[in-house]
Amino acid sequence: MSATGRIEEHPILGPLPERSVVTFRFNGVPMQAYQGETIAAALLAAGIRTLRLHEEKGTPRGIYCNIGHCFECRVTVNGRTGIRACLTLVEEGMEITAGEILPTPLKKGGHPA
Amino acid sequence: MDQGNIVICRCEEVTLKELIAAAETYRCSARELKLRTRAGMGCCGGRTCRRFIDMVARQATGEAPSHGIPLGYQPPVRPVAFGQLGGVIG
Repeated sequence: MSATGRIEEHPILGPLPERSVVTFRFNGVPMQAYQGETIAAALLAAGIRTLRLHEEKGTPRGIYCNIGHCFECRVTVNGRTGIRACLTLVEEGMEITAGEILPTPLKKGGHPA
Repeated sequence: MDQGNIVICRCEEVTLKELIAAAETYRCSARELKLRTRAGMGCCGGRTCRRFIDMVARQATGEAPSHGIPLGYQPPVRPVAFGQLGGVIG
């Protein structure tokens, strides 16, 4: 595990527990995380904060409430859309893809098809 | 910072400017404001911006009209894909 965003040595909680490593892919890039981490935490530890682009305006979006209310962290997991990264645990061989801006050709100044 | 640029509805990226403009042009209730600007129709179901839309509407139309339909809580509580409804995906 590269120098990650994880707190390896917590002053109160102590060192991180021993956990097996899980390999998954985010936008085709193979990545690693510990068993039991959520997708949002695993990507944040790898320095990735943009989980999707706003469907209409393309603004980068990521973790917001982190407790499953706001859906800002929704990603596509193994082909299924609208999966909340903050609630879903990382599993071996997961295919995660970030949300893209969607075409709005009919809207004035919209994103072309 | 220009107050108008504050994003009120995060899910649909509706700014305060747009809300106030719609509210004053059409003097609309909260529900109409929602229908006109899509504020409150986003994935979080209006959790963040419902109260602000009510406030903007009340500010534009003076006291909230008695006949005004309050900004209701529309099902589904969580976004559901059509595939799930149709049983296509689990």
